[in-house]
Amino acid sequence: MSVLCHSYLGPNGAFVNGQKEFDIDFSDRQYLKVIYENLVIDYPKFHKMDVLSKLLILTEELLHEEIPNDVNLEDDMALLMANRSSSAVVDQKFIDSYTLQNNPSPSLFVYTLPNIAIGELSIRRKWYGENSFFIAEQFDANFFIRQCEGAFRNGNTHVLCAWIEADMRGNEECFLFLVTHSEEENLEQALIDILNTYRNE
Amino acid sequence: MTYGALISPLGKDEEEHFLAFKKNRSGVRLMEGAGFDGKSWCLSAFDTKDKITYDRLLQHTINQVLAKCPVDIHPSKRIAVVLSTTKANVLPDVSSAFDSSRKMIESSFPEGTDVTIVSNACISGVIAINIAADYIRSDKFDAVCVIGIDVLWDFVVYGFQSLFALSDEACRPYDSQRKGINIGEAAGAVWLTNKVPNRFFVEYLGGASSNDANHISGPSRTGEGLYRAVYRAMKRSNISANDIDFISAHGTATLYNDNMESIAFDRLGLSNIPLNSMKGYFGHTLGAAGVIEVVMSMLSMEHGMLFQSLGYNKNGTDAHVNVITENKQMPVNTVLKTASGFGGGNAALLLRSKS
Repeated sequence: MSVLCHSYLGPNGAFVNGQKEFDIDFSDRQYLKVIYENLVIDYPKFHKMDVLSKLLILTEELLHEEIPNDVNLEDDMALLMANRSSSAVVDQKFIDSYTLQNNPSPSLFVYTLPNIAIGELSIRRKWYGENSFFIAEQFDANFFIRQCEGAFRNGNTHVLCAWIEADMRGNEECFLFLVTHSEEENLEQALIDILNTYRNE
Repeated sequence: MTYGALISPLGKDEEEHFLAFKKNRSGVRLMEGAGFDGKSWCLSAFDTKDKITYDRLLQHTINQVLAKCPVDIHPSKRIAVVLSTTKANVLPDVSSAFDSSRKMIESSFPEGTDVTIVSNACISGVIAINIAADYIRSDKFDAVCVIGIDVLWDFVVYGFQSLFALSDEACRPYDSQRKGINIGEAAGAVWLTNKVPNRFFVEYLGGASSNDANHISGPSRTGEGLYRAVYRAMKRSNISANDIDFISAHGTATLYNDNMESIAFDRLGLSNIPLNSMKGYFGHTLGAAGVIEVVMSMLSMEHGMLFQSLGYNKNGTDAHVNVITENKQMPVNTVLKTASGFGGGNAALLLRSKS
């Protein structure tokens, strides 16, 4: 099992395979929109999405050219994601819509599940792969490796993994990495090192 | 795989549920003023006098399932729990919604028990069982418990109301007059193990999931994701359409969902397999649905009885589905369970009777 490529979006900037692509002004709460414009993406649906979906769409856009196109991604790549806070940010907005505005908002409610982000990415890329979203206390490389092993046992050739977090205090990050089971390496340490580099840059 | 717990407005264990299903009793009733702005909806909710909260329901479920652990509870045994829930304890504090569940499982199960939480909308329960089966196959665990649970927070009722998805009548999956969902609350659990349990069990054959890649809150018109999920699950299980005796389908009783399922089943050559939706009994219990419907499917296998799909009278889907119209005594050896949900997710698994 090995990591083919990885990208990151967080307070320290936007990265692909360890290389910084650009800085992010995290204090600007419109920073996701700014990145969308910087990357010249033409996908108007983006603006209706919740913070998790936006983070995932942008972090995948950063990675997209690195993802091999000679494999059957449509069917044989599983999407496996995890975070700590589920969809808490949009959950609170939905609660506010009926407690404060007296009008439960359907456009917020549809995002009150963390796996919606997987759905948004699958729609954008026309990926029909396996899906799973987990709630974990923190990024745990071993947990991802365990789930990847299961996906490979079931015949998937690639697993696109994401640690994708947005909490109520405004902490937001997305770490995306593509795993194959072609080569063996100490994946656990590799993943820990990669994420630490991104977080501490 | 064995069943381990089942708690819903219909009963407090598997036995009570078997009797309720045998009599075609429904947990769904009109709840006056339960909706936003005082609207009334048909829901499957616990009696308020029972004071069932999320935490109490989870603790009851844990107590039931622990008593049925198929291996001796001993420090040398490697045990895992996979929890399936969409909203857990979402109110009053969204930021700690899942924390109490993890703590309660860790303090109730033997020290060292591994806890995984799956939150993947309405397919969470089926995915959780697929993951648990993989944990067993990896030989990392001796026994894995899957718990599915969700309760009827105002959050959820108001949300489905805002989507115009709810019905003020008992739901009618696959029927021409269907007009929407009854949501419900429940919890259930199963155990997976490589050991041969000393009570009724079934063999888990295989499972899979897939995304529609179509729309986050509406199913694909062609049933693409469900088709691929079931196709993969059958392939992994080495099962063909003719081998399947019964489909425990999703059947939420919305126009689009049931139609999508009919098209997917038709494409898979499964149109003539007897099928039910249990939403007429339990309502749609979200993160609990996959697990509790698997528990009931296992009771069908144990007792050789297919249960009527409540609310069905006249076919109302584009493709034919063979909906079960009355309880039927017959051997039920191979079962397909499916689920579909928000985010475009679809999942399937196959079970085979060992007796």
